[in-house]
Amino acid sequence: MLFVWREALVGLRRNLTMSIAMVITTAISLGLLGAGLLAVRTIDRTEDLYYSLIAVQVALDEPTSADDPDCTTPVCRDLRSELERDPLVASVEYESRDAAFARFQRIYAGQSILQLVRPQSLPATLRVTMADPLRGTEIVDRFTGRPGVRNVVDQRSTVADLFSFLGSVRNATFGLAVVQTLAAVLLISNTIQLSAFTRRTEVGIMRLVGATRWYTQVPFLIEAVVTGVVGAVLATGGLVAAKAFFLDRLLSGRLLANTIPPIGMSDVLGYVGPVLVVVGTVIATATGYVTLRLYVRQ
Amino acid sequence: MIRLENVSKVYPTSTRPALDDVSVAVERGEFVFLIGPSGSGKSTLLRLLLREDVPTGGTVWVANWNVGRLARRRVPRLRQRMGCVFQDFRLLPNKTVGENVAFALEVIGKPRHTVRTVVPEVLDMVDLGGKADRMPSELSGGEAQRVAIARAFVNRPLVLLADEPTGNLDPETAGGIMTLIERINRTGTTVLMATHDRQIVDSMRRRVVELSSGRLARDDDRGVYGTVR
Ligand SMILES: Nc1ncnc2c1ncn2[C@@H]1O[C@H](COP(=O)(O)OP(=O)(O)OP(=O)(O)O)[C@@H](O)[C@H]1O
Ligand SMILES: [Mg+2]
Repeated sequence: MLFVWREALVGLRRNLTMSIAMVITTAISLGLLGAGLLAVRTIDRTEDLYYSLIAVQVALDEPTSADDPDCTTPVCRDLRSELERDPLVASVEYESRDAAFARFQRIYAGQSILQLVRPQSLPATLRVTMADPLRGTEIVDRFTGRPGVRNVVDQRSTVADLFSFLGSVRNATFGLAVVQTLAAVLLISNTIQLSAFTRRTEVGIMRLVGATRWYTQVPFLIEAVVTGVVGAVLATGGLVAAKAFFLDRLLSGRLLANTIPPIGMSDVLGYVGPVLVVVGTVIATATGYVTLRLYVRQ
Repeated sequence: MIRLENVSKVYPTSTRPALDDVSVAVERGEFVFLIGPSGSGKSTLLRLLLREDVPTGGTVWVANWNVGRLARRRVPRLRQRMGCVFQDFRLLPNKTVGENVAFALEVIGKPRHTVRTVVPEVLDMVDLGGKADRMPSELSGGEAQRVAIARAFVNRPLVLLADEPTGNLDPETAGGIMTLIERINRTGTTVLMATHDRQIVDSMRRRVVELSSGRLARDDDRGVYGTVR
C-alpha cells in the first residue's frame, strides 16, 4: 500500500503545474458551491426572520377607524371574524388608531415628523398573520375595496425585492459553480490521461511482471482524490477569509445591518466545509474512476 | 508445462499469419531454444504465452491455464507465476535495482520482511549484491539484464520466458547471462528462450524448436542452430 501512495505523490510532483491548475480549479468551483450554500442558508434565515414579523395589513377607512378602541363596530367586527375564519390566516390582531399613534410616537421619538402627524391621519388596522406567508396576495385581493377598508397591504411584497436579490445572488453563484465544476472535471480527467500516457511504458512493464490493473491505476485515482480534498480545504479556507475580511463588514455595515443576519463561523466550518470535502472527494474520485475505465487502456 | 495445440496468430494488420498451426509441448523443467529467422514468429509465440495477445486459432496451455481464454482479471495471476526477460531489459527506470526486484514481490503481496530478506539473496545470486541502490541508467547492459533475470526469478516462477536476452550483449557477457539462466533451469524452472545466437545454441546442446514463416520447421532434442546443409 505504501507503494501506491509513493507513486501518487510522485505523479502529483511530476506534473506540478498541471496539479496546481487542477487544485486551483477544483478549489474555485468548490468555493463557489460553498458560497451558494451559504447564500441559501442566509436566505432561509432572512426569510424566517421576516416571516415572523411581516403580515398583511388591512387598514380601515376613516369612519370605521374613528373612536373604536376594540373593534366593536359591526363593520370591523365582521371583517375580523371573516378573516379569523379563513384557513389561510393564523391570527388577527386589531390595532386601534390610538394604539397606532402611540407606536408611531415610540418609533419616531424626538424626530420632527412627529409634529406633522396626528392620530386622525393614521388608520386603525387589522394585522393579519398568515398561516402561509406566501399567499398574502389572496387576502389582498379578497379584501381590497370592501366596505370599511381603506387599503390592504401585503408587507411581504415590500421585502420581495430583497429576496429576489438574494435569490439571484444564489442562482448566479450556483451557475458559476456548475460551469467551474465542469472545467475542474475536464482538467482532472485530462491530467489523469496525460499522467497515464507519460507512464504507459512503466505501467506496461508493471503489468508484465503481474501487477493488476487496479494496482497500477490506484495511484492515478489517489492523485484525483488528493486534488479533491486539497481543493475542498482551500475552498473552505477561502470562504473563511471571505467571511472575515469582507462579508462580516458588509453585513454589519450601515446598509445591510439588521437586514440580513450575519453568517456564523459554524456555518462555514461546521456545515459548508464538510459538505465541500465530501462533494470534492466524490466528484474527483468519480472523474478519476470514469477516466481510467474509459480512456486508460492499460 | 507449456502446450500449444494448432496455434495460429494472424495480426489484424497483416494477411500472412505470424504463427501458422503450431503444435509443441514443453515438459516441466525442460530447457528449450526457440530459433528461426527474423519475422518467423518467435516473439509472437512468447507474447501468446504471456497473454500479451490472444491466438486467432488453437489453444495455448501454461500449467493448467488455458491462456487464450483466460479472463482479463486473471491474467496478473498467470504472469505472477511466469518470469520474463527481454532484449531491452524493461526495468522500471525510476526505481533502484533493489526496488525493481522487490516490485515483483510487492505485486504478489509478499510481506515487507520477506521482501527485505529475499531481494538481497537474489541480487547476490546474480552478482549484483553491492548495487542494490543503483538506478537502472547507471548499469551496463549485462548488469541490467542480470537485474531483469533477478526480477524474473525472485518469485520462483514455473516458467522463464526469454526473448533474445543476449541480443544486446557481447559474447562474454552473454555467456554470463546463459550461466545464470542455466542455473535457474536447474532449480526446476522450465525455460523457453528465443535467440539468434548460433554460438550459444551450438555450445549448449539443448532442445531446439525452429520456426520458419510461422510454421514449426524443426524440433530436435539435442539440437544445434543450423543444420549443416
Ligand atoms: N503487433 C503486430 N502487428 C502486426 N504484425 C506484427 C506485430 N508483431 C509482429 N508482427 C508480424 O508478425 C510476424 C512475426 O513477428 P515476430 O515479432 O513474432 O518475429 P520474431 O521471430 O520475433 O522476429 P525477430 O527475430 O526479428 O524478433 C512478422 O511478420 C511481424 O511483421
Ligand atoms: Mg522477436
